Amino acid sequence: MGSTKKYWKGIEELKETPAFLEQRDQEFPAQSAIESFLLDEKLAEASTGRRDFLKFLGFSVAAATLASCEAPVTKAVPYVNKPENVTPGVATWYASTYYDGLSYASILVKTREGRPIFIKGNKDFGFTKGVTNPQIISSVLGLYDSERLNGARKKGSKANVAVNTADQAIIQGLKNAKSIAILSPSIISPSLLKGIQLFTETYTKEGNRSVELVQYDAISYEAIRKAHLQNFGEARIPSYDFSKARTIVSVAADFCSTWLLSNEYAQQYGATRNPDGEFMSTHFQFESNLSITGSNADYRGQIKPSETTLVLLYLLNNLKGTGGTGLKGDLLKIANAAVKSLRKSGKNSLVVCGTNRLEDQLLVNAINHQLSAYGTTIDLSNDVRLFGAENSKAEVLFSNILKGKGPDVLIDLGTNPVYTHSQGKELKAALGKLPLFVSTARYSDETSSLASYIVPDHHPLESWMDFQPKSGEYSVAQPTIRPLGDTCSVLESFYVWAGLTKRTGKDSTFAYDTIRGAYTGNFDLLVHNSCVGTTIPAFTNTFTPVNIPSSNKNPGDWEVNFYQKTAIRDGAMASNPWLQELPDPISKVTWDNYITMNPYQMEELGYATTYDQEHGLNLAKITVNGVSVTLPVYPQPGQALNTVGVALGYGRGAGGEAIGKGAYQTKEYGGYDLADDGTKKTIGANVYPMLRSSAGMLQYSGAAKVEKQEGTYLIAATQIHHTVMGRESIVKETSLNTYKTKAKEAYNPPHMLERLNEHGHHEKAPVSEFDLWNAHPVEKIGHRWGMTIDLSSCIGCGSCLVACQVENNVPVVGKDEVRRGREMHWIRLDRYYVSNAEEAIGKKKEEDFSYSEAEKATVNPTVVHMPLMCHHCNHAPCETVCPVLATTHSNEGLNQMTYNRCIGTRYCANNCPYKVRRFNWFNYPSYKKFTEVNPAQDDLGRMVLNPDVTVRTRGVMEKCSFCVQRIQSVKLDAKKEARVIEDGELQTACSEACPTQAITVGDWNDYNSSVYKSTQSKRAYQALEEVGVKPNIWYKVKVRNEA
Amino acid sequence: MQKEAAIREPLILGHKTYHDVTEDVCKPIEDKAPRMWYILFTIALIIGLYGVGSICYLLGTGIGVWGLNKTIGWAWDITNFVWWVGIGHAGTLISAVLLLFRQKWRMAINRSAEAMTIFAVFMAGTFPLIHMGRLWVGYWVLPLPNHFGSLWVNFNSPLLWDVFAISTYLSVSLVFWYIGLIPDFATIRDRAKKPVAKRMYSILSFGWSGRAKHWNRFELVSLVLAGLATPLVFSVHSIVSFDFATSVIPGWHTTIFPPYFVAGAVFSGFAMVQTLLLVMRKAMKLEAYIHTKHVEYMNVVIMVTGSIVGTAYITELFISWYSGVEYEAYAFLNRATGPYWWAYWSMMTCNVISPQLMWFRKLRRSLLFTFFISIIVNIGMWFERYVIIVTSIHRDYIPAAWSMHYPSHIDIAVYIGTIGLFFVFFLLFARYFPVLALNEVKTILKGSGQSYKESPDYHKHH
Repeated sequence: MGSTKKYWKGIEELKETPAFLEQRDQEFPAQSAIESFLLDEKLAEASTGRRDFLKFLGFSVAAATLASCEAPVTKAVPYVNKPENVTPGVATWYASTYYDGLSYASILVKTREGRPIFIKGNKDFGFTKGVTNPQIISSVLGLYDSERLNGARKKGSKANVAVNTADQAIIQGLKNAKSIAILSPSIISPSLLKGIQLFTETYTKEGNRSVELVQYDAISYEAIRKAHLQNFGEARIPSYDFSKARTIVSVAADFCSTWLLSNEYAQQYGATRNPDGEFMSTHFQFESNLSITGSNADYRGQIKPSETTLVLLYLLNNLKGTGGTGLKGDLLKIANAAVKSLRKSGKNSLVVCGTNRLEDQLLVNAINHQLSAYGTTIDLSNDVRLFGAENSKAEVLFSNILKGKGPDVLIDLGTNPVYTHSQGKELKAALGKLPLFVSTARYSDETSSLASYIVPDHHPLESWMDFQPKSGEYSVAQPTIRPLGDTCSVLESFYVWAGLTKRTGKDSTFAYDTIRGAYTGNFDLLVHNSCVGTTIPAFTNTFTPVNIPSSNKNPGDWEVNFYQKTAIRDGAMASNPWLQELPDPISKVTWDNYITMNPYQMEELGYATTYDQEHGLNLAKITVNGVSVTLPVYPQPGQALNTVGVALGYGRGAGGEAIGKGAYQTKEYGGYDLADDGTKKTIGANVYPMLRSSAGMLQYSGAAKVEKQEGTYLIAATQIHHTVMGRESIVKETSLNTYKTKAKEAYNPPHMLERLNEHGHHEKAPVSEFDLWNAHPVEKIGHRWGMTIDLSSCIGCGSCLVACQVENNVPVVGKDEVRRGREMHWIRLDRYYVSNAEEAIGKKKEEDFSYSEAEKATVNPTVVHMPLMCHHCNHAPCETVCPVLATTHSNEGLNQMTYNRCIGTRYCANNCPYKVRRFNWFNYPSYKKFTEVNPAQDDLGRMVLNPDVTVRTRGVMEKCSFCVQRIQSVKLDAKKEARVIEDGELQTACSEACPTQAITVGDWNDYNSSVYKSTQSKRAYQALEEVGVKPNIWYKVKVRNEA
Repeated sequence: MQKEAAIREPLILGHKTYHDVTEDVCKPIEDKAPRMWYILFTIALIIGLYGVGSICYLLGTGIGVWGLNKTIGWAWDITNFVWWVGIGHAGTLISAVLLLFRQKWRMAINRSAEAMTIFAVFMAGTFPLIHMGRLWVGYWVLPLPNHFGSLWVNFNSPLLWDVFAISTYLSVSLVFWYIGLIPDFATIRDRAKKPVAKRMYSILSFGWSGRAKHWNRFELVSLVLAGLATPLVFSVHSIVSFDFATSVIPGWHTTIFPPYFVAGAVFSGFAMVQTLLLVMRKAMKLEAYIHTKHVEYMNVVIMVTGSIVGTAYITELFISWYSGVEYEAYAFLNRATGPYWWAYWSMMTCNVISPQLMWFRKLRRSLLFTFFISIIVNIGMWFERYVIIVTSIHRDYIPAAWSMHYPSHIDIAVYIGTIGLFFVFFLLFARYFPVLALNEVKTILKGSGQSYKESPDYHKHH
């Protein structure tokens, strides 16, 4: 239907007069009013009298004064000159590299309006393949820590000193010194090593000065390097490739979460855990603590920390066919199964060991050599350059310092021996007596607070740096923001102190120039990709058998295993509230460390084995190597009998140092909890002083004495019930054999209901065929966002949880609120143990099932990790009960939460079968209780908030939105480019962060999408299907590769 | 006037004349209040103000001052709400349903029962308001025209039905109660000597003059309102029960709830009437009007409704097993044997066993025993709501989300505070309002003929 109507603005247009036609074609009317006014000749004749002038002046001044009385302008002001790459509302991503001495990853940093706010893995470049870990994701908050030093400090002063003053004093001290020591964590930066070398050359050139670089790691892997030195003639940490391993045997190595390059291994391991893939690995784990890795194992043997050698020896002897002894019971069975599996897989096997004992690592090498794993799963040429520290050298340095024979100048690059060393307390006294002690730590921490001068390094997101993490890869980190404080690149500092350059302030390009200058390739491409492959020098040394020293360990009845938690690890990031509040993937405890003990043994010994908001755990004093701490005893199913575990990395800031607001315990109504002597109470207790070295290598286990103490201690756990109670439709698991050989009904039966058919007879039909309601029109119309979560792939690492917290501005609520069951995380990682009354998790024993037994995990339980967030039900029970329509269904299948409509009745949360809704009990961004813990309450900390996501006020409900801001963003991008959304284009924060790609998200209405195909898998099921809420999330049956 | 069977116990004891009735009811209003009233009023006021203070703290700080958590979104708040609404059932049942059934014994108790109803509904109404996270936008539950475009309320939500049910119930009860008060206010007005009191009561009595026309209209309006109020007695608590019955939570999702809730409400309401009246009749010397027979009648109602409630409990248990639904079965097993077993068994003892004792005539006519049981019943009914709400959601579908509920001191303060406020209102009512429907009671007074029959003169002649 065309229209013949004509619209016209004036009669001239209608009639199309010549004058009109002439004017129409001109962009600017010929005579502008101003020109005609200015050209007016009469104007020249006009005169403004003095009185008129004063009148005008008076009026203008009065008007201007009145105008300036108004409230200050709070509107955003547009840029006068728009900076390149900064468009308000549009994120800019920078490729960079993360390295903190413990974790390494190629990353992408998201910046908004010049602020870095999110870190994710770079999937396109780098051997880490886009996999990070909770610490890397959380590290962005460290940038905005208001207690991070923002300038140089002199000892005893709370105010900054000019960095030039500090430099002069340091240079003077260096010139006067006879001996200089540089104490550093493992350095993998070629440029920094070069800088230190030039520094060393400068100061050793004249006088009789010695300069020594000492690298010291609190978490040490020296034994691996030394074992390879003995077997292959060179101290190396090889590259492991778990993705090729059909049989994986790990003896006390938590390689999915804390061991070596765990993020790389988690990704590789995840690839082998897909039952639909080319092969599925068989994973044997021998350990004392239930680690994340152990929780994923197909077979898990419980051993004491001292029995690692025994197990490895048994494996080696049996593989050699000489027969082994020393194991019995279940352990023997598992070890024999491991031997069988290793034989079968041959060179496609991988055996790793997590201890730092030379004999263990020599045995591992011998086993891997016996299996011919070198060359397939182990690559010695592309060796790992991390963890190159030699702690024995550090020990010499420390003992000299303790004896008062320390160097004249000590430069510490942020190692924290006062906290991490067994003689930290003594070091604290001795370090202060050094003639000159310089630190480049970013905080005035336990060690650096003793320094004569702190010249703080930039935050990694503020600085240029380069790395050689493996011999085959070179990478750079680029700044994503101008330094927030007057901090100094540590690289520049060495050149300045060597007198090779001058300080040029925080906008210095020195580090950039140095790194760029040293690089011979295409630097722009390097920065774009953040890394580049380098030629790997061939390594041809062959295996030389050596005599393995037999160790006769007899550590006593009880042994302790010191482990790292995935969140806190070595404790360097202990003040990061996101990490403190990340529930431990196994124990689900936040904000604390504790003694883990098997609940069956705790019952015998009279310890409480249950806990909740008001019921604490018993305290016990643990004494190791003469050092005692008192901690609560946590009932940890799966803990080997007669062993206990304690996490390292807690008890930071015992002297009340300013290491970050979140590093100390807070009180119920806000403020720090102070001890009797007025010092701030630390979170947990420091157990580093219990560590001892054996043959020069730091040992993370030992004999322990555990004595029960009076009193209980309240802990904050996000899960207080640990079994699935035999419920069938929450978690489903099966064995690989069943999965491969049987029909779907055997391992993933649909829930059946009875109904009458048209003939009036009873028949059974799957629950999906029953429907009381009209469906929302989401099928086959537009988008329908869906998700699958593969329980087989999920290793329970917690990365998704932290990524979600960062992306969605999820508030931190602190220990007291977590204890009250009010953590705000939008995604939960439910962890279930198999119980005494179940054959497998979620499968009742046919005989003697009882609920009381179903509540108890077995002595050595199997584990399932189940990420759970809002299921975006198409028949959402939350939506019907909201009186004000604050939660509604979108036509794309999303369950939407409208915060500003919510009146906070909490009815929706009660009616949610998955219990995924979170209520704002308080005003987290302003209530006094959360001042110390919630970054949103800190002027600087709030910079980390994602501007695309509303910060919620008190009294409203919130929950997973499927990262709706990202959905909108990909939709807009597609619309602008006039195309459909591609599969995989949408990634939620959780799916992106998942190291094992357990989470698939996408458009379910696109039948070619990976998410749709995934839901059609025989393993796909919906949790609580029989409730009939029709969720948009599918799980995939957990498959174990066991007989 | 009133014909009674000879074997029936009279409803008013002694030889009261019309004037006696007026005197008995008006005396406490006209006299100075006894010292005890001041003491009780002060205590109630302090407790009530403590509750109000706690509510202010709650509103100022956030719902987090209560003991709720991510799993348990309702606990004491909605427990108290349902408990108070339940209590608020007796008044209307007595005045409306018993009026329609021409139960004359109700006349002695209906006034105070209705007053109790209204105050209880006030208290009940407080909880849905203060349990909201953002009370200041609470008016969004009303279908008001607004500037948000086409934004409307959700008519599917049982909470919205609650809003309508409670507000309707409150307004009808209030009107019904007030209509009944008008002639009595007029009586007090006519006797009042002090100018302020006279002025106040004359405003309250709406110019009632006691003409036949007035009485005629009065009776008619009472009957109409009784007809209106009767369905409300059943609808209100049915609708309150829909909050739970329409949900998907095992232990909530139960079709038996509407009748079960109504019976429970009458049960607790009558118990509360007993508690209050047994004290009031003594304190205000109304023994002649509210005596053993009234108490016995009410005890019979308690016994019957208690039995209905007991049957419902057992039916629920049976159905949970018979349904074969894993979650349903566990919800009830957990009630009886889980961490909140003590709440469940308190409820069972108080609500199922104790009313059965009323089968004994001696016990149901014992005032002391009745007083004791009436308190037990209300404790039991509080636990019933706590059991339904908390023990159902603290362990529902996903075991990893299971939790425990521990009340905070604010939870307790708000609850105790509403009891205090309730008594503030009730004491004010007892002090300034006619606690007996005196003009109605006069209709069941024995005629002068009957008095004459019982007088010595009558015996002299025969």
